[in-house]
Amino acid sequence: MNNTLFNPTRRRFVHAALGATALGPLASLSWAGTANTSGNRFVFVILRGGLDGLYAAPALGDPEFAAARGPLGQYATPALKLDAMFALHPNLTGLHAMYGRGEMAVVQAVGLAYRERSHFDAQNVLESGGSKPFELTTGWLGRALNGSGAKAMALNTAVPLVLRGSAAVDTWAPSALPDPSADLVARLERMYAGDAALSAALSRAKALHFDASMAADMADGAMNGKGGGRYGNFGVLAQRAAEFLVQPGGPQAAVLEVGGWDSHANLASPTGTLSNNLRQLDAGLDALRTGLATGDTWKRTVVVVVSEFGREVAINGTQGTDHGTGGVAFVLGGAVKGGRVVTDWPGLAKRQRYEGRDLRITTDLRSVLKGVLSDHLQITTASLNTHVFAGSEALPSLSLLA
Amino acid sequence: MSNPTLQTAIAAHRYGLGEADLDVVQPDPQAWLLAQIGPADAPRGDGLLGTRAALEHVAAEKEKRQLAKNPPPGTTAEQVLAGHYREVTLADARSRILTATSTRRPFAERLQLFWANHFTVSLAKGSARGLVGAFERDAIRPNIAGTFEALLVASTTHPAMLRYLDNNQSAGPHSSIVARAARRAARMDETARITGLNENLAREVLELHTLGVQGGYTQTDVTEFARVLTGWRVGLQDTAYTQAFEPNWHEPGRKTVLGKSYAEGPDALRQVLHDLARHPSTARFIATKLARHFVADTPPPALVERLAMAYQRSDGRLAEVYRTLIRSPEAWDAQAAKLKTPEEFVVSTVRVLGAGERVLARNDGGALQGLGQRTHAAPSPAGWSDRADDWLGPDSVWKRVEWATRVADRVGGGIDARNLADHSLGPWLTDTTRLQIERAADGPQALALLLMAPEFQRR
Repeated sequence: MNNTLFNPTRRRFVHAALGATALGPLASLSWAGTANTSGNRFVFVILRGGLDGLYAAPALGDPEFAAARGPLGQYATPALKLDAMFALHPNLTGLHAMYGRGEMAVVQAVGLAYRERSHFDAQNVLESGGSKPFELTTGWLGRALNGSGAKAMALNTAVPLVLRGSAAVDTWAPSALPDPSADLVARLERMYAGDAALSAALSRAKALHFDASMAADMADGAMNGKGGGRYGNFGVLAQRAAEFLVQPGGPQAAVLEVGGWDSHANLASPTGTLSNNLRQLDAGLDALRTGLATGDTWKRTVVVVVSEFGREVAINGTQGTDHGTGGVAFVLGGAVKGGRVVTDWPGLAKRQRYEGRDLRITTDLRSVLKGVLSDHLQITTASLNTHVFAGSEALPSLSLLA
Repeated sequence: MSNPTLQTAIAAHRYGLGEADLDVVQPDPQAWLLAQIGPADAPRGDGLLGTRAALEHVAAEKEKRQLAKNPPPGTTAEQVLAGHYREVTLADARSRILTATSTRRPFAERLQLFWANHFTVSLAKGSARGLVGAFERDAIRPNIAGTFEALLVASTTHPAMLRYLDNNQSAGPHSSIVARAARRAARMDETARITGLNENLAREVLELHTLGVQGGYTQTDVTEFARVLTGWRVGLQDTAYTQAFEPNWHEPGRKTVLGKSYAEGPDALRQVLHDLARHPSTARFIATKLARHFVADTPPPALVERLAMAYQRSDGRLAEVYRTLIRSPEAWDAQAAKLKTPEEFVVSTVRVLGAGERVLARNDGGALQGLGQRTHAAPSPAGWSDRADDWLGPDSVWKRVEWATRVADRVGGGIDARNLADHSLGPWLTDTTRLQIERAADGPQALALLLMAPEFQRR
């Protein structure tokens, strides 16, 4: 991506914030062993369905923006300004405040190596960390943590692909039912002696539910009885994630998922699904920050929020946008060097779009993730290039941390 | 009881929905399954709306929403909206579970559940509310044993699908409705609301319903197919609640999908669906999904090949494909490789306990929501996952234990779990499980152990 920065035909579209400081050192060094980082925390938030990155973080300063976006470029209340070029959707007030405090960076025109437009393939690539759908059966975060002894947690009933491949993954989701008796669980464990998968799942669950400190948390009932389901209330999950993450022996990484971003229609409505989802996302991320403020966990936290793809630049025939490629990522946390928009802005004119349709991807998401994994979780460059994102040697690590 | 064979247990649990006594499958498990091939049973339950009535209900609910914006004096918006879709949603969910738990043709019911998931229409999206049950009853149930093409046409043109995947709002960019909207917008100095295509349905029909994502289509095919689909809508204006082809929404001119040209007009959709149903990629995609659903997450290639051949030889006659499945040796592997989904777990529990509606009556399907599979509410158009990994997280297993405990506490006292284990699982029951059940502290615990036994969780 660096070369394109100095391509004179594109320079005028290159966003001002993108200087040497924004990109930082392109080659990440291995930091393994140089610092005690077991207290560092990483949270990955998957927005399933394809968030319209230009709706969440509009490029108001792009000369083509207003014409390309039509009514989707107009908000009921003014968008929240980030700099001369970019702003945030008016419902993202929490993120905007974090940006102001230097705790949140926006990465625009980011995306995967995958350039088709299937949700399911794109989510597979996003989580597996491969370059093609279904070439890998484990996830990049699972592989990064595997063997490190670090624990991970999915705030969901099932283990998402991104965490598969790591031995120590816990899952948690709210429940309205009381715990079964320890006696029954012990008998089940004996019964599962011949079924490795059921046995492993049960013993992980037991550890989570019967561990003394956890049991106390559960007993206070704060999170019980509030439904759940695959995409339960994001705020509840974020609060609960924070409770797990602040514990000294808690997980180093957590994954949260939020659905409902597939906005084919009626985007522009200020009371529409997408605006409401953005408000809930913002509130949940704010709750996560508040929950992690205990001690200094927030200072040692990096959160990456991303979707499987962005959407078409132009509005479709139904006041929405169809599947596209380039999108937006939010990187937040006390450990982040925020207050900036990191992008090699490709521009919105039709000839600047990918296939004339989509925001062109100028930053590979793996560059963002490699930077966070190396600088924050001390995953070595060799491991990143061979196991976590195999074959990604040519992709620089973005430097996003303070 | 005569001595049931292993095939009897496999027929009852892998291809059925669980039986309290394997005697019902005797004496010939294959014949028992083959005799069930045909349209699904009539749905059971009360308050079920047909598609037409469901559309009227949607229109009435829409009016309610309008009214709620300016509630009549003395009422609040909440009062106006009270029970918004609740009755219909509950009746649909109850009927689905009630039919599955009581049918004597559980193989046919399994196939109906499979196809309803293949052609997912979900409450997770507001536009499908009120119509999901009607879709299942009118588009899927009667068509599960005919041709795939008939099923595909019924699904694609059903109002629920047209609304769920946004085709209702997709207009030909050169259609008369778009031209009119543009003129009106210019007059009013506004932005036109309807301007062109929405390709959601076109993409998902190709990717999820027919060819599969590797099936050999391009972005251009998606867009061209979306043009073919323009005009297929369900009108909710005025008092006409009909699904129809509306020419003023249709994109003029010929379209080219997968290299073949189709004429302008309503007939093109049937023709495209006809060609998609006969495409070799569709045969392979459907064969793979069926084999994965019944046999293994990674199904034996020889079985997939045989099912795909049966599909192609018979021009997509599904009964032929099902018969081929039942007659394949891979279908009867002694190893139970599949984990039940939460819904299969709940339904089979109710069936073996003979508990009827009792187990479900108290919480209106909340059980399935708690287990992560709210009825009729799959998270995306891809439907619920059919792979064990997605249902084997610690929390997922834990919630099954919680639910099994509660059910066992409720009904366990009156049931001898040892006896039930023998009659229901027959030769599938292992010594380890039998021993744990025999040693249980009390009746309810014995029953909870049976419900959570690997032999009952897998199939």
